[in-house]
Amino acid sequence: MEKFMLIVREDLKKIGKLTPEERFASGPDMLDWLKSLAESGHYVTGQPLAITGKYVTKDGVFSDGPFIEAKEGVSGYDIILAENINQAVAIAQTCPMVMTGFAVREVRPFQEPLFPSKKPKPS
Amino acid sequence: MDKIAQEVDELYKANFGKIVASLLYASSSIDPETAEDLVQDSFASALTDWKQNGVPSNKVGWIYKVSKNKALNRIKRDKRVEALSERTKVESFELRFSDSATNDQQLTLLFACAHPDLSPKSQVVITLKYVLNLKVDAIAKALCMTIDGIDKLLFRARQKIKEERILLRESHALALIPRLPIVHKIIYLTFNEGYKSLSNDQILRNELCEEALLLNKALLDSSLANKDTLALYALMLFNSARFESRFSATGDLLDLEQQDRSLWNQDLIFMASDFLRKSKDDAASSYHLEAAIACVHCTSRSFESTDWRTITGLYARLLKDYPSPFIELNYAIALYYYGDKESAFSILNELQRHPFLSQYYLLNSALGKLHRLEGNVVLARQYLVKALDQTHLTKERAFIQRTINEL
Repeated sequence: MEKFMLIVREDLKKIGKLTPEERFASGPDMLDWLKSLAESGHYVTGQPLAITGKYVTKDGVFSDGPFIEAKEGVSGYDIILAENINQAVAIAQTCPMVMTGFAVREVRPFQEPLFPSKKPKPS
Repeated sequence: MDKIAQEVDELYKANFGKIVASLLYASSSIDPETAEDLVQDSFASALTDWKQNGVPSNKVGWIYKVSKNKALNRIKRDKRVEALSERTKVESFELRFSDSATNDQQLTLLFACAHPDLSPKSQVVITLKYVLNLKVDAIAKALCMTIDGIDKLLFRARQKIKEERILLRESHALALIPRLPIVHKIIYLTFNEGYKSLSNDQILRNELCEEALLLNKALLDSSLANKDTLALYALMLFNSARFESRFSATGDLLDLEQQDRSLWNQDLIFMASDFLRKSKDDAASSYHLEAAIACVHCTSRSFESTDWRTITGLYARLLKDYPSPFIELNYAIALYYYGDKESAFSILNELQRHPFLSQYYLLNSALGKLHRLEGNVVLARQYLVKALDQTHLTKERAFIQRTINEL
């Protein structure tokens, strides 16, 4: 199976105003979904993200970053295993947050990094 | 309800899905919704016809034949509209019909449900619906989902079936073999759903477990099975052996330690061990490892004499190849009984920081139980009360409440 990241995108401006308790109380129950994915061997890990962070560029480090201004920012992620991208999408469609229209999910396959080897190959 | 209506109703319950499935299998020109309509129609015809002309000797055969004719008519009609070479199409369609919806067909359909583009949940839902013939409300009950949620999944799955003719792809063995892992998973999940104490409907749960075993048996009898199929069968048989002992005489849930081991079905354990032996392979699948764990439990004389060393080893291997916080939880519990309490608590404490697992009642009830064994009554109570809030299942709640009372 291949690895995918299901990125949660939601209105950060809206959830930024909530306390963490309010934030998670307002969303649908995710545990059963995660459990069913774990039972079927598709779940690897995942976690919500805090709303504010640091934004790093070559010019320095900014607090908070522009994330908060983006209407649909990244607010969490899950890493899953799936047969192919279509199945990963089908899994994302069954996410309670997606089904209730609470948030959208971006499905991204993991890419194996290719580092060109600088060392000569051993003969 | 009069006698005939009752009879038709019973036939409907037992055969609706199978006949729908056989129509879907028979022709790519029929989509699931049409097939359901046609079969529904045939049952209605049966009701009126039988009242007038009497009940035929082969009742299922009658309905099957009527459904088949209705389907043929429908296809002819559609083809005429499309003005395609009608003869060849209809003939080849005819050929695919067997005389009854056999188990082989059930297996073919199971492989169709294992389409790799469907989510695991949808695969299970359409299997329950089209292969095992469960009604939507029964599926919702078995999977602890809302009827609306099931409908949504079915709607998407149906669209996929229609668009890509999923149920109809030529099903040569070679094309099916890559789907075997998904088929295993579907059988495994079906068994699990039946085995969980989720639904209070005991009969429904037993049926799901039995159906999963039957499907697995059909798979073993086919040419498609591999070593994993044997391991999966062993795993389910080990668990079946303990089926009855999980509840007390009054219907209360019992954990492994409290179960009366003399109730465990030794014949099933013997059979399961045999299958596990036959399943030996170079690489161990998750079914091999889980079956091996179940085997250690089933063959130890008492809870105290359990070989926790072997079990922790098996869990460690399971975790390495199939990482999951839920397996980690079981690993930690095994570590505790093995005597490595420090590692056990460090894993459990780590899991508590997992945003969702901390909301999971089994984590908190495990923490409660282990703290109680350590003599930390106050902590134990805290975790158990938390766990009590996190499950709404009557049997689970009663079980946790009982543990709290015993503190």
